[in-house]
Formats: sequence, C-alpha cells, structure tokens
Amino acid sequence: MKQQSGIQRVELLVGTVIVAATGVVIFSMLMHDATGRKGSGLSGDFAYDVEKLTKIDPAMILYEESGTQIETALQSTRAIAIDARDYLYVAGDKAIRVFDTSGAVRRTIDVPGAVECLAVSAATGLIYAGIGDHVEVYDGGGKLVAIWPSPGASAVVTSIAVSKGGDVFVADAGGRIVIRYDAEGREINRIGKKDLDRNVPGFVVPSPHFDVVVPRDGMPRVVNPGRLRIETYTVEGDYEFAWGEPSVDIEGFCGCCNPVNIALLPNDDVITCEKGLNRIKVYDHTGKFKGVVAGPEQLTPGSPAKICVRPEQCQSGGFDVAADSAGRIYVLDTAANVIRKFTLKEL
Amino acid sequence: MAEKNEPVNRRKFLREGLWAGGLAGLGAVGGFVGVRSTRGDTVWQIDPNVCTSCGNCAKYCVLEESAVKCVQLYSICGYCDLCFGYLVPEPKQLDTGAENELCPTGAIERTFVEDPYYEYNIIEELCIGCAKCVKACAVFGNGSLFLQVRHDRCLNCNECSIAAACPSGAFKRVPAKTPYLLKGADGKA
Repeated sequence: MKQQSGIQRVELLVGTVIVAATGVVIFSMLMHDATGRKGSGLSGDFAYDVEKLTKIDPAMILYEESGTQIETALQSTRAIAIDARDYLYVAGDKAIRVFDTSGAVRRTIDVPGAVECLAVSAATGLIYAGIGDHVEVYDGGGKLVAIWPSPGASAVVTSIAVSKGGDVFVADAGGRIVIRYDAEGREINRIGKKDLDRNVPGFVVPSPHFDVVVPRDGMPRVVNPGRLRIETYTVEGDYEFAWGEPSVDIEGFCGCCNPVNIALLPNDDVITCEKGLNRIKVYDHTGKFKGVVAGPEQLTPGSPAKICVRPEQCQSGGFDVAADSAGRIYVLDTAANVIRKFTLKEL
Repeated sequence: MAEKNEPVNRRKFLREGLWAGGLAGLGAVGGFVGVRSTRGDTVWQIDPNVCTSCGNCAKYCVLEESAVKCVQLYSICGYCDLCFGYLVPEPKQLDTGAENELCPTGAIERTFVEDPYYEYNIIEELCIGCAKCVKACAVFGNGSLFLQVRHDRCLNCNECSIAAACPSGAFKRVPAKTPYLLKGADGKA
C-alpha cells in the first residue's frame, strides 16, 4: 500500500507538471501578438497611424446598408455587374454567378479562367467577360458566343463597358489604353494614348485597376488612376475634361491609384470605390462631390475600421460596385465575398 | 497464456522514466547539433509577404544601427506623385519639403522623372528599418517598399533577437546563396 501511494504521488507530480506546461503554452499562444499591433515601443514619430482618416462625418453619409447580404459562394470575387432586369452578375474563381432581385442564384457560368471584369449589354443581354488579356462573350444562357483577340502583347483587361449604341469599350491596364470595339468585336479605335498635340495626357496605371463606364451621353468616362481623376473622352478619342483631386479629404481620392472601380447611377451620377482607405462615394456627372455611400467604418460593421495589416490584405484590391434601375447600390465585398446593398437614407 | 502483469514499484518507474528522459534528451541534442551544423549555409532574411511592418526590426537588432533596411523594388513601384511611402498622409504640398516627408530620418529621396512620375530611392545610411514607409506603401501603394536584412551589416547571430521579437514569423533562415527574398511580379517572394 505504501509503495502504491508513492507511485501515485509521482504520477500526480508528473501530471501537474504536464498540465502547467500545457497552460503556459496556451497562455503564450493567446498572448502572442501575431500582427504587431501592440507596436514596437518606438516613439510615435515612427508609427504609421491613419486611423483618424477612417472617420467620416456622419452627415456626409447618404446611404445605409439594407437587407441581408447575398452570399456569393465564391472563394475569390472580383467584379460585379447588373443587367436590364436588375439581375446581379458576380465574377469570381472561374465562374460567373447570376442572382435575381431576391438574391437567389439563377445561373452559374463556368469560364476557363479568372474573370477580372464583366459587363452585361442592356440591349442584348450578352455577357462580356475580361479574362486575362482578352474578352470572351457569353449569351444569357451561359453559352460561349465569341472569344475576341487580345488587344496587345501586354494586355491586362480590367474593365468593360457597353454603350447604349452597342459599342464595347475595353480598358487595358497593361497597354494603358481603352479600345473601342463594335458589338462583333471589331476594333474601331483606341482612346487615351498620350498625345500632347491632341491634349491627351495619357493614362497612368500603377497597378491593375483601370475602369471605364459609358453614361447616356455615350462619352466614355475613364479612370486615370495614377492621376487620381476621371477623364471624359469622345468616342473618337478626343479629351474633353476631367475631375477628381488627389487628397485624403473625403472629397478627393488618395493612394497611388484610385478610384479602383466606378459605376453609374440611373441619373449618371458616378459611384467611386477606393482601395487603401475603403471608401465608396457619389459624385454628380460634373464631378461635384455629393456624399458618401460607405466608409471604412461602415464597410466593416461591428469591428474597428479596417486598415490592412498583412501584405496580401493590402494588395487584394478594393471593392466593386453596381447600381440597379432604382438607384440601389450593390457593393461587392471582395474580402468577405458577399454582395451588400446600400439604399438612400430616408430624411 | 495471459500476460503476466508485474507490479510497478517506484524504483522501476523512476528507472524507466530516466531512460526515456535520457533518450529524449539525446534526440534533442542530436537535432540541435544537426541544425547548428547546417546554419553555416544559411542567413537570416525577412519574408516580405509575411512581414507586418511592426517596427520591431529597428528596435531589437543587437547592432546600434539595425541591419534591417528598407529596399525599393523598382519593377513594381508606381513612381507616383502622391506617394504615401514618401509623403505624410495629409501633405501640405506634393513636394520635398521636410514637413511633407513621412520618413522620420529623411531616408527616402524623391527625384522627378517625367510628368507625372517620380522615382524614390532609399538612402541606406539614414534608414533605421522602422518600416513606417513600408506600412504606408503597403496600405496605399503597390508594396514596392519592404524590409530586408542587409548582409553587409548583419552579424548572422545564431539566435537573432529580431527573429525572437518578430510577431508574424517573417524572419526566417534562407540559403546563403540566395540571401534576399524579393517580391516577384506576382507579388510573391
């Protein structure tokens, strides 16, 4: 009995040591500052703090999130578009998913590569998808209709817009050019090549964010991201005017290349999406700032406004946006891979 | 043919425990010696895709002036006028005025190339590796500014004090033949 009692004491001792060691390991893991947010202990001069820029005057926020978010069930979403029926098209992974107005999935179109951008013709319902260096065209049923040739050896297709007249404008970030095609994919002309004699400043595209939209007047609005502004051209490629200022203030665009995405409201007001500081704002067609759809705090509800920590978060790009016929704004949250609906606040 | 269960006494328990402990210790020593023997071919480096620009590199290096410096990868730099790695978040002017510079030690040089492009170079003698510019470039730019251990300065300590303080595990040993981890065109080191 005495011998057994001694063994029990040793076992108890060993057990206690194991439990204590496990506790220390768990405590250390919980206390480990894996993001470095606790800081290095250097003085404030060495810290990069832009948290105050995430604060937006509530009076400037004109929209509020409404309804339930639509789960895309995609792992890596990239672009959103809307058709004449207000159906939503989301590009992600190697697919395009179509959602009806209730948020139900109507169709999934498998595509051979990652779709970076897409547009849907209001007149024909054809889906134009930018895949790498070229455009592919699908009909409403998801059948491949055409593959257009690449516009150039360095082409990176980042945006497509279809005009009311049926012309298709393709933004090529690699070539820093917008190409105007007819509906059959025949190139008509190129817009935006630097030509000081024609007063064309040239596009500055530091990263693959280069967007184009076409409002009702038929003149393409092209983001010149490196100059942090939006430029207007005639379909022949003559430069008309530009708006947008580099600034961290809410009226301006900040960062190396913003806005990363734009879209049009039914009245041709322009919705802009910025990366870095995730801000979605509305300007009228002349570029006058109207207000904010959502800022960093609204885009990360329930948690502190998000400024990226890890490199892959920082370089993951901004959100995309589209508006339906009633002026509701659909934000593709490329971080959570969901669609979020924003509607005008009731006054 | 039931197995015979011998009673365990304290002496036997301790003897077997000692054997097991001894074997485990021997394995640990062998592993340690094995790792030490291969360390001669490796050097410390920072994985730029894991680094969170926390600032610990400036503080924890055993050298008075950290062996970690900011580097500029020109192939992915946007050459922007409004460069957040160079300028404070709310600059008064987009110029080289000291009040507009982000770097606390003035270690970034801005040179006009052509409208609207500017080149940014790191003055290594002034850089202390605080990563302030790295953070800003990552948040707002292309991430062309990042930290690397400079091997003309690094003592290659067995137990690197920065590695021990690194919150994200970005410090790692790499082959001495390829001592730098540069970001590729695909954004990967």
